[in-house]
Amino acid sequence: MPEIRVTPLGAGQDVGRSCILVSIAGKNVMLDCGMHMGFSDDRRFPDFSYITQSGRLTDFLDCVIISHFHLDHCGALPYFSEMVGYDGPIYMTHPTQAICPILLEDYRKIAVDKKGEANFFTSQMIKDCMKKVVAVHLHQTVQVDDELEIKAYYAGHVLGAAMFQIKVGSESVVYTGDYNMTPDRHLGAAWIDKCRPNLLITESTYATTIRDSKRCRERDFLKKVHETVERGGKVLIPVFALGRAQELCILLETFWERMNLKVPIYFSTGLTEKANHYYKLFITWTNQKIRKTFVQRNMFEFKHIKAFDRAFADNPGPMVVFATPGMLHAGQSLQIFRKWAGNEKNMVIMPGYCVQGTVGHKILSGQRKLEMEGRQVLEVKMQVEYMSFSAHADAKGIMQLVGQAEPESVLLVHGEAKKMEFLKQKIEQEFRVDCYMPANGETVVLPTSPSIPGGISLGLLKREMAQGLLPEAKRPRLLHGTLIMKDSNFRLVSSEQALKELGLAEHQLRFTCRVHLHDTRKEQETAMRVYSHLKSILKDHCVQHLPDGSVTVESILIQAAAPSEDPATKVLLVSWTYQDEELGSYLTSLLKKGLPQAPS
Amino acid sequence: MEPAEEDWLVESLRLYQDFYAFDLSGATRVLEWIDDKGVFVAGYESLKKNEILHLILPLRLSVKENQGLFPERDFKVCHGGFSDRSVFDLKYVPDTSLLVTSGLPGCYLQVWQVTEDSDVIKAVSTIAVHEKEKSLWPRVAIFSSAAPGVLHGVRLSSLQVVDLESQKTTYTSGVSDSEELSSLQVLDADTFAFCCTSGRLGLVDTRQKWAPLETRSPGPESSALRWCAEVGGRGQGPGPRIASLGSDGQLHLLDPRDLCHPVSSVQCPVSTPSPNPELLQVTWAPGLDDCLAISGFDGTVQVYDVSSWDGMGNGIEPLFTHRGHIFLDGKGMDTAPLVTTHTWHPCKPRTLLSAASDASLHVWDWVDLRASQ
Repeated sequence: MPEIRVTPLGAGQDVGRSCILVSIAGKNVMLDCGMHMGFSDDRRFPDFSYITQSGRLTDFLDCVIISHFHLDHCGALPYFSEMVGYDGPIYMTHPTQAICPILLEDYRKIAVDKKGEANFFTSQMIKDCMKKVVAVHLHQTVQVDDELEIKAYYAGHVLGAAMFQIKVGSESVVYTGDYNMTPDRHLGAAWIDKCRPNLLITESTYATTIRDSKRCRERDFLKKVHETVERGGKVLIPVFALGRAQELCILLETFWERMNLKVPIYFSTGLTEKANHYYKLFITWTNQKIRKTFVQRNMFEFKHIKAFDRAFADNPGPMVVFATPGMLHAGQSLQIFRKWAGNEKNMVIMPGYCVQGTVGHKILSGQRKLEMEGRQVLEVKMQVEYMSFSAHADAKGIMQLVGQAEPESVLLVHGEAKKMEFLKQKIEQEFRVDCYMPANGETVVLPTSPSIPGGISLGLLKREMAQGLLPEAKRPRLLHGTLIMKDSNFRLVSSEQALKELGLAEHQLRFTCRVHLHDTRKEQETAMRVYSHLKSILKDHCVQHLPDGSVTVESILIQAAAPSEDPATKVLLVSWTYQDEELGSYLTSLLKKGLPQAPS
Repeated sequence: MEPAEEDWLVESLRLYQDFYAFDLSGATRVLEWIDDKGVFVAGYESLKKNEILHLILPLRLSVKENQGLFPERDFKVCHGGFSDRSVFDLKYVPDTSLLVTSGLPGCYLQVWQVTEDSDVIKAVSTIAVHEKEKSLWPRVAIFSSAAPGVLHGVRLSSLQVVDLESQKTTYTSGVSDSEELSSLQVLDADTFAFCCTSGRLGLVDTRQKWAPLETRSPGPESSALRWCAEVGGRGQGPGPRIASLGSDGQLHLLDPRDLCHPVSSVQCPVSTPSPNPELLQVTWAPGLDDCLAISGFDGTVQVYDVSSWDGMGNGIEPLFTHRGHIFLDGKGMDTAPLVTTHTWHPCKPRTLLSAASDASLHVWDWVDLRASQ
């Protein structure tokens, strides 16, 4: 039975740690390889032993696909490829390939240096892992082997994020990764064509939410910044070098312009270097429409935003500073934080998730006294604001994407089954598709009906056409032929040709039936009576009386004979070929009813 | 962003303490609280299945301390159900897991159940309504007690209370007056208030035969097509007050002890006439003295401080006007959105929720600019 099998991996129901195994038409693909940030032990990795109990992963998996650079989608990749062992291809988009190793290295440093973890992947492992990566472009069909092909679609969300279509023959699966359907300031919204996959796999972490509008989130950010600088305070915004920082800068720049504000905004030098690199990646990645709005000016040449010098941190008066790294775990942002933390007029705005062990994580958990190096205790009096700018699809977004792709079935991962019944019903009702919600470790099996293309021989086609009736889209036509399956080829040919090719002789099947009639006349007269009788009844058929006395109806032969034992009885021999079975049976029963009386 | 929208957003920094904007999958005319953390909304489209949703407010709104540490600004869909009919009214039965909805087509009430072991809201039973009306739907209010009762009616003549569990009728108005009802409001275990579309108001004691304390109906000189009212009001003077709003922008304040003589009558500066008088709404602020809000004339919600009124009705200006639904119309619709309903947060004094015909839902905490002066 042809089927598609999907198993989300990993232990527990927790969000994060995306890793999905898909089996389609004999091919095995792993989608994403995420790390769970909340755990410090093996629970942070997906349970790879599920994939295959014995045998090498490289032999079992045809490829691995990574949707984007967030650690809950790629964080376990070096562990998987270098420590568990996988040497096959790893597919991702170009920006993902560029940014992944940076994030992985950052994360490794925090885990090993800050938290002192053992059994973690090394810098060399990250490098070796990335050597196995094959980068792809959007909408480019990539042949993994001669049967399996993949294609990336724009997902919005973050730079380089893609949704992937995996196709084998006529069966296909689309995996969304993380995506958003409402356009971002610089990333736009996800888009897919009406590719009608057998299955659409979508993350459903935010499926039961209705998202606050982007305008209001931005407004909240602006308000916090404005209020702080108005009272003479300083605002620190720790950012990851590549990502939201640019968006927030554009926002502040617009606002400063409009309000004619003079408070200085700084961008740390570490950011500017990486920013150009990011800019280049970005400009080749986005679509025409978005690119046009940024070609007008270099994204990172701002009127009101200047490069930061560490000495400025001691300047009196209000200011806003964007500094790396994003989780306050080291470097410039931590230095500035230490200087400003003691003043309640100041504010730190954390724009994203912070890994356990970092200062960012501690203050977001509400800690106000931090132990720094040398047993120094830092009292945090400055205001701490946690803001989320990440773009995810909510319930409405998921419905929109399903509407665009038109899949036969939908599968939701990373949601709690109990809390998703309503969404399941909504999808099933609106789109008339099946909706699955497997738990981690549970396998969903989808039967498919693949279409198998077969060629029809020209001879057979011509013969059918010669019958005069043209093929009509709405009415099926019955066609007789022989299906020859050889290697992976299917051909429909006429019976004669099939026999010829197979070197077989054709046999004819002929039936004969005896009908006894009471008739005293000679057999020739009986035959004549039969002819007249049939001629009058069977108006639509060709009834003939042959010179040798026999009667034919189409290809059916009727002969009258006189058995020697009883001169008053005549025997009709009715014979027909297998093809004329129906007519033959009909004639036989007709004749059995007897002949009409002849006028004397 | 459109310049007008950008201007308004910048202006909003000064006008609002906090502001959230959401897009529902369908517009709602219902905003019904369940404790102070969740609301129900319901669709009212006529040709498709409508959703009834139980939404949990963003965490940021509910926490008392350390608000800054909660980045979540989203509504959570806690429960959802499907209705084949348009839903025009929804009431939650306190201390139960039941909801009662009223809508069209069909003149009956639908009872729903919200359970913990599933997120689907299920239809469980119906309550028949005395008269069969084609285009009018029964107004609903809940008598909450050990044995909850549903007060409903299309007209004064069809007013009755039905025990929810036994479905037995425990009270009927017993009058033949066929005046159409605009709203019903339960005041305590035995009394309720009614407002007719004509503006006629009354307070009824269910322990007695029909003998309500009533207003005189506004005469033919009133240009309003339709009226609505709410009993409530904290502040000056003892006891509750009644606010009555007409589709021509007239607003009357009445004392329950003397319903025939309004305490004050003013003309609100609204665009009249209301394009859909059925959407008229006036609500008293539960957490502020002498404040009420009105909507249903356009895409705005207006907040008034009635203590400043001198009874002469001149120069009345709203304390605050919420214009978010007009400026954040991101859908580029041809017709301007119309506010369909609004409600005050039960605990946060200046926080309101408002919904509009373009399926937008706003949560806003306005700044009282007088306080800074």
